[in-house]
Amino acid sequence: MKHTLKYIFSSCLILSLFFANAQNTKAPTAKPVKDTVSTGIIPEKAAVATKATVTSKTAVAAKTDATAKKDSVPPVIKTNRYGVRVGVDLFKLSRSFYDKDYKGIELVGDYRWDKKHYIAAEVGNENKTTDDERLNFTTKGSYLKVGFDYNGYENWLDMENIISIGLRYGFSTFNQQLNNYKIYNTNPYFGEVPPIASGQKFNGLTASWIEVVAGMKAKMFNNVFVGFSIRLNRLMTNKQPDNFENLYIPGFNRTYNGSFGVGFNYTVTYFVPIFKKKVVPVEKKKTEKK
Amino acid sequence: MKKILLLLFVLSLSFSGCEKDDICDGNTLTTPRMVITFYDINNPSVEKSVTNLSIFADGKENAVPYSGNTLINGSTVSIPLKVDANVSKFHFILNYGSTNTALVNEDILTLNYKPENIFVSRACGFKTNFTLDAFVPFVHTDAATPDLKWIQYIAVEKYSIANENETHLKIYF
Repeated sequence: MKHTLKYIFSSCLILSLFFANAQNTKAPTAKPVKDTVSTGIIPEKAAVATKATVTSKTAVAAKTDATAKKDSVPPVIKTNRYGVRVGVDLFKLSRSFYDKDYKGIELVGDYRWDKKHYIAAEVGNENKTTDDERLNFTTKGSYLKVGFDYNGYENWLDMENIISIGLRYGFSTFNQQLNNYKIYNTNPYFGEVPPIASGQKFNGLTASWIEVVAGMKAKMFNNVFVGFSIRLNRLMTNKQPDNFENLYIPGFNRTYNGSFGVGFNYTVTYFVPIFKKKVVPVEKKKTEKK
Repeated sequence: MKKILLLLFVLSLSFSGCEKDDICDGNTLTTPRMVITFYDINNPSVEKSVTNLSIFADGKENAVPYSGNTLINGSTVSIPLKVDANVSKFHFILNYGSTNTALVNEDILTLNYKPENIFVSRACGFKTNFTLDAFVPFVHTDAATPDLKWIQYIAVEKYSIANENETHLKIYF
């Protein structure tokens, strides 16, 4: 258990490095686009720069002068598109094909609330048979996760990429069936007993949890986004069966001795634009100065 | 960006690989053995050591090992019970292997109980606890070739067998 967690945490660290990388590599590729679009501004900027070097004292005045001039150049108007994004978790979908012990689907969706906030939800259904060393059991159930994402990524012009952190409240209702199990006996004088078939079913189980989500979504083409997220879960409530345990919870995934868990998804989503909002010029100036 | 996403996807796949690394901790209470303590029949509060006692389950060629030894010389012994049966029959042979056949004495003890499988954890699976039958917890008989019983009296100390820290059966001889 400890080893798994160790690996997960180290993997998370590695993944976080990639997030940083993603931001770094993004900038150079984006710059040329910006340059070509806003060619009209560049000479003015240069002029501002030369002015500033010549008379550093009047730099502030020069800047305000330059911004005043910029306002008179209208071609680039940044608009933010608002709408609903719907999609599916590719990992669960593909696993259903290659893993005979797993059937699952997860639909994901979000709605852009304001510039940086998205209301997000996932709904899914899973049917998983876990074959452990000493236990074999089947978990079936559905789950719903609702929460928000905060986009911390500053997009250039009309780009719509997302690097987000968010929270979810997850709820699952499910049942478990114990297929067979082994008796742990440190004194096998009578020999190891073969796995005992059980077939006992535990119905009406529920669990709820909080998830911290770190994710990214990139626009591939038109309105199609590809995204990835990793999740750290913490169980809030867990209705356990008698003489067994919720070793797997749909949506939460495998449980550990403590109340923490991990998850991830890999999504393809389609963005349905509903309306657009123009970015206020003042805000545009600020972003350009950076 | 696309390459990074692909890399993340491959990394994420490796998550699903680490599931079966749990190992059952040795300190976990798992299937218990029945603990028997021997007492002096003439002085019932004093423990008495047996000499070269060997315990064979019915039909088994090898004796029950206790502390790595099948010849028991002490006042206490733990024996495993069959987890998939209601009855375990044991042959208690005193002075087993002795050249002086007059000293060798065999008694048969049949234990009646109810096994119960209890969930422990993902790594350990289940364990079996036992409850000795309330009416006929044991049947004490002499060997097939009668040599008089060496066990004088048997008392059940604990009907529920759930751990090995306590005596379940007291044997006086």
